[in-house]
Amino acid sequence: MIKNKSRKEYFELSRTRRRIVLILMLGMFLVLFAQAIKLSAFEKDKLQKESRQRQHRELDLLPYRGKILDRNGSLLAESTPVYSIMADAALVNFKDVDPINQEKLYKKKKQLANLLKLSTRDLDKKLKNRKKRDVSLRKNIAPDTKIKILELKILGISSNKVYKRFYPENGPVAHVVGFTGSNGIGQEGIEMLMNKSLAGKKGKIMKIIDGKRKPRVVGEFQSIKLPKDGVDIKLTIDLRLQNEAYNALQKAVEKHEAISGSAVLLDAKTGEVLAMTNYPSFNPNGYNKVGEFIKNRAVTDVFEPGSTMKPISLAAALERKIVTINTLIDTGNGAYKYQGKYIRDTHPHGVIPVKDVIKVSSNIGSAKISEKISSMNLAAMYKKFGYGVKTGINFPGEVSGVVRKYTKWKPIDHSRASYGYGMNSTLIQSAQAYTVFANKGKLKPIRLIKGIDSKIGKTVLSPKTAKHMLLMLESVTDSDGGTAPKAKVYGYRVAGKTGTTRKYIDGEYVKDKYIGTFVGLGPVSNPRFVMAIMIDEPLVKKGYSGGTLAGPVFSRVMSKAFEWYSIDADGLELENIQNKKETSANKTKL
Amino acid sequence: MKLNLILFVILIICALTTINFKHLTRNNFAELDEQSKRTLDLKDQQTMLRIEESSASRIEIIEKTAKHKLNMHIPNTKEKKVIFR
Repeated sequence: MIKNKSRKEYFELSRTRRRIVLILMLGMFLVLFAQAIKLSAFEKDKLQKESRQRQHRELDLLPYRGKILDRNGSLLAESTPVYSIMADAALVNFKDVDPINQEKLYKKKKQLANLLKLSTRDLDKKLKNRKKRDVSLRKNIAPDTKIKILELKILGISSNKVYKRFYPENGPVAHVVGFTGSNGIGQEGIEMLMNKSLAGKKGKIMKIIDGKRKPRVVGEFQSIKLPKDGVDIKLTIDLRLQNEAYNALQKAVEKHEAISGSAVLLDAKTGEVLAMTNYPSFNPNGYNKVGEFIKNRAVTDVFEPGSTMKPISLAAALERKIVTINTLIDTGNGAYKYQGKYIRDTHPHGVIPVKDVIKVSSNIGSAKISEKISSMNLAAMYKKFGYGVKTGINFPGEVSGVVRKYTKWKPIDHSRASYGYGMNSTLIQSAQAYTVFANKGKLKPIRLIKGIDSKIGKTVLSPKTAKHMLLMLESVTDSDGGTAPKAKVYGYRVAGKTGTTRKYIDGEYVKDKYIGTFVGLGPVSNPRFVMAIMIDEPLVKKGYSGGTLAGPVFSRVMSKAFEWYSIDADGLELENIQNKKETSANKTKL
Repeated sequence: MKLNLILFVILIICALTTINFKHLTRNNFAELDEQSKRTLDLKDQQTMLRIEESSASRIEIIEKTAKHKLNMHIPNTKEKKVIFR
């Protein structure tokens, strides 16, 4: 056929074919080109995302959670590395046909089980499902145990590092420091309050998954974002005093078979909280951090302050010059009928000067003095001392307590308020209130975290009234008729006020259930520390007054505080003179 | 022709430089990754040492050591000397 055609004819035929082929090829290129445009222009994002998902893995770089330290840099909370041991059940194999290998594998299995604190049977159970690629064999393993496990070189066994919060000081500071949950977020205390600062910021790293499904580093700096570690928080707490207060509280609570106890120690000059503790406490390193003793009761629980309010009521009267310290008050035979109800003293005191009302803690005396002050002025003075308002410490769960509006007070409410009934407050409020007597009439704002600028204190009393009050409070620790001789500190002059209140449960005062308190300060010549102690529900037959319960706690902690802070002794001179007098008297006798 | 040749040589040099820098970047990045890991390990070690130090420097331990090893004691009232200023 071809031979019969002329060269021209043949060329014409092939030209048509060539055109067809060319058109086909152009068509194909056009399709390819269109597809390329479609993929690169319209489906670019989707495809890139898909590719990243398949090849890349974005891993979190966790920041180090900040430490919590006491004022001297002692460690209170720290994040420590712990490990989880993981197994790929498809790869872990403890069987071999060769008896020698089988024996070796069995030995390894036994070692692994021992290190994991599991029986070999339990280990087998965990690895039974061969489809599971990520079996958690044990969590929270110490670094040295992890090393021992990995040194066994068992195929399919690996480790994951996680950080666990560790609280080396345990119970005594547990209520202040708080704890974090399993997700690493603060749940209580400072851990919760300062969570944002402590947590830091997560970083990220992009890695490529290789053929063995292992992540490899991408060689681009854009693929890494370094984490920002959390900030360390320094508290105003002094660990030595905190432990001392906790141990003293523990002793008092156990001795008097009480339910619980709380204590707050403040630096009267700066308003810093040096110790704030509760007994019983809890173990923040444990897993089951539940129960009624988790709360920091010194700031979350309210109680009627009782006689610790008397100095404030009396200060209101002195400040308004309604009475002087020598005005005589007739407290009668220990029972005073007012508005149809009896106000009683524990002992009859007869006619006593105002300054002795505090020393003997007379309810009648306090009520009679307060009768001369208006409810408005009395309530205003309580507010000025910080009752009914939060202290500003910003501690999670802090409550303000209740001082009812004076317009709703009946005359008997007015009298009862003067000795601390019909209202309530927290222990930390009581401690803050007494900074007024320690600071020549100024109420100190309190703080728990170092570095936070303290606010300026406000003047509540004149320096003269504050001085009078301080001397009256000192008489409370007198062995000669004071209610808290057990609060004395050898070599120092200390002052304070006891409080013993019946517990108010379900709308009535319960018999034989008391709260004993003591709020004190020292040394009197230049007050440096203020301490408030509360013991809840002691066994009545073992003593229930504030002086008996809390006085020894105050004495023990204060003596250590004076010693550790090198406070000049202001009570030795007096004692020395007394000793000299006694010695010369003895010589005369001889 | 001459210009094309020069441009071609420049192109080759640029290409090689790019490859070289990419390689260096990758190396540096791997180094950074390695150092980050090392930093973390050192931080972990520091944490463990700090915990060890805090448990060894507890006041009870210091007092016990002072009492038993150094035979120290808190002075009683007779041993105390009062200095009046």
